[in-house]
Amino acid sequence: MHERLSFYLKRDSLLHSLNPLTKLTLAFGLTFVAFLSPWYWTPQFVVLIIIIPLSILGRIQREYIFTALRLILPATAFLFVMQALFQPIGKTIIFQFWFLHITRESLSFAFANASRIFAMISSFTLFLLTTHPSELMSDLTRRGLPSQFAYVIISTIQIIPQMQSKAQTIIAAQRSRGLETEGSIFKRIGALVPLVGPLVFGSLVEVEERAIAIEARGFTSTRKKTSLREIRDTGFDKTLRSILVLMVLVIIVLKIRAS
Amino acid sequence: MKIIDSIKKDFNTMTWVLIPVAIAINVVIGEIVVQLKLPVYLDSIGTVLVAVLCGPWAGALTGTLSNTIWGLLIDPNALPWWPVALFIGFVAGWCARGGLFKSWWKAAITGFLVALTAALVSTPISVYIYGGITASGSSFLTAYLLQTGQSLLPAVLITNNIVEPFDKISTSLLAFAIIQGLSMRFLARFPRSENVQIEGGITRNQIYIAVGVVIVVIALYVLVIAKLISH
Amino acid sequence: MAIVNLKQVTYTYPLTDTPALSKVDLQIKEGEFLAIIGPNGSGKSTLCYTLAGFIPHFFKGELEGSVEVAEVETKSSTLNEWVMNVGLVFQNPFNQISGAKYSVFEEIAFGLENLGVPREEINPRVEQALIMTGIDDLAERSPYSLSGGQQQRVALTSILVMQPKVLVLDEPTSQLDPIGTREVFGVIRSLAERGITVVMVEHKVEWVAQFADRVVALYEGQVLMDGKPREVLTSDQLVGKGFGISRYTSTAREAARRGLWPKKSELPVTLDEAITGFKK
Repeated sequence: MHERLSFYLKRDSLLHSLNPLTKLTLAFGLTFVAFLSPWYWTPQFVVLIIIIPLSILGRIQREYIFTALRLILPATAFLFVMQALFQPIGKTIIFQFWFLHITRESLSFAFANASRIFAMISSFTLFLLTTHPSELMSDLTRRGLPSQFAYVIISTIQIIPQMQSKAQTIIAAQRSRGLETEGSIFKRIGALVPLVGPLVFGSLVEVEERAIAIEARGFTSTRKKTSLREIRDTGFDKTLRSILVLMVLVIIVLKIRAS
Repeated sequence: MKIIDSIKKDFNTMTWVLIPVAIAINVVIGEIVVQLKLPVYLDSIGTVLVAVLCGPWAGALTGTLSNTIWGLLIDPNALPWWPVALFIGFVAGWCARGGLFKSWWKAAITGFLVALTAALVSTPISVYIYGGITASGSSFLTAYLLQTGQSLLPAVLITNNIVEPFDKISTSLLAFAIIQGLSMRFLARFPRSENVQIEGGITRNQIYIAVGVVIVVIALYVLVIAKLISH
Repeated sequence: MAIVNLKQVTYTYPLTDTPALSKVDLQIKEGEFLAIIGPNGSGKSTLCYTLAGFIPHFFKGELEGSVEVAEVETKSSTLNEWVMNVGLVFQNPFNQISGAKYSVFEEIAFGLENLGVPREEINPRVEQALIMTGIDDLAERSPYSLSGGQQQRVALTSILVMQPKVLVLDEPTSQLDPIGTREVFGVIRSLAERGITVVMVEHKVEWVAQFADRVVALYEGQVLMDGKPREVLTSDQLVGKGFGISRYTSTAREAARRGLWPKKSELPVTLDEAITGFKK
């Protein structure tokens, strides 16, 4: 179920050299456009005419397409089917199975909905592929995000894989001691506690020492924190962000006028 | 200002260190449950732990971050549900502050209240993003249930009304059991350790057994209903 | 000039009755290398936490007496300020990695960032610290990809870069394998030789005997002995109390009782001394 935990790919590209906040604004901007625009074909437009060319610009086109086909498409396809079957709108029944039916209207709605989600996930994938988490955090901290948040986010991203492998170790160890993880639902429920227990307790007792360790490094210092990395924010970045915000506002206006 | 002070109190260094661990716990237990093919999520145990030990604001933050990170890095379908995760932490935190985590049955009540909130908050999200399909809820839910071998329609029906309380009460009880297993000396480090001054001591094994019994009873109940519906 | 001054320090953890430290008097001179030994529960870690300011600021509880470092008393200071003067490294290397950084270089810079050191100063200080502890080849690696010994050296470097006046080490090698232990001891020794004030809790007495200037033996929260390594480590006062006495010392002591050890000589602590002694 889980892919590798960090999407970031280090490349030398136009997108990579943009300020992280700009890329984040881009992701949000494209998402808002895809969701709010009154034109039916907006999401497809966003993906084909904006995202794919951008991915080429970011030299990550191969990885993006791969992710799109392997992850995004199946997820949204599933959603599409669910919506087509269960949306109780429309009269023109196209397909009927047992008590489930697909109407032309529900098909159209499902397609629109799924496309929007596809566009949203795509734009964030673009962001994740070209932005290193620590870069983003450094930039946000510089702009006023409390440093504790940066600590929490990056710490979480790094700890999750550690804990996942700890969990696999515990599962293997308990299995070798005879724990059954397959079979009747009762067996499986009973397996939960011997797996969860060691994992959780082991991790929680470390919390105290880790708190002492970061205190010893001045984590709660009230001085104004500085940053080792310098993240560039060019005029181009600022302009681009303004354009994106403007674009979203325009779309909102259009949407209000169209309804 | 009282609210700002209340927020600040939730966060000491132990809180900041606990949150990443709690989110990792959310993720990993959520995955174990999938591996064991159980009809629950159990992906908020960490959130509840933070909420009880540190307070509602810390709990809300944990839920939100947990959901966001999960959504961005594991399964994007989870992203729109961040308010649900936020409220799970928030409500659990307030219940604990109201003394509703000091014993077994109180923790179960907390779980139930959290479940109600989760159902309440997820409805508008369901409506806006997925077009108000009360039957299917979200692909997230349905995917889990399909994996446990239930057939589609009854699975979806059961979900919204039973799995949520089931899931959240179990989550609450497991969180309670975990806290019971930690020494008071350790718990005292957290900002709101007064939430867990337990009334009457119980051994760790007894708790594990009791949790197991409760889960088994509820599981039986669910299975009976499922059998009845599919006939 | 005493840089550390403990007077009649008594401390009891919250929710406990017996004090972990009892009327401890201790002065440490600048540049001294002080080793602390003691059985489990004798208050060694408590003493480390007290020196590092975590008692009373992190652990609460009752602290009596006076704790002074660089003429500042702990009660009139905050933990933030204290950590700038006293650095703490403890046993578990993994728990000392912040998790907030992706490379060793940045990990070491973390403390300086928190203290608001200007960017232009951070880079050279980190580079210097890396060289001082011999881990400059690890600078670009992820802290999580390192061995225990390497991680411990990173932890040490991360604290050193903050230029504390006193460095406190609580059993820094007890969770390391022999290679890791050797690496860490090597670094500590070179730091002591540079004149950094070091306080180290350590079980491996043979090593302590060779390199420490002074040894303090703690027993049940009190200072049992305080003096030169040879005197303390071979003293009869340590016998039967759970101290990890060097086996060479115990062997020679037993030998002396049977008349096989030259009466006038001191008891040995290390292998070499034992060999020399037995030859006579």
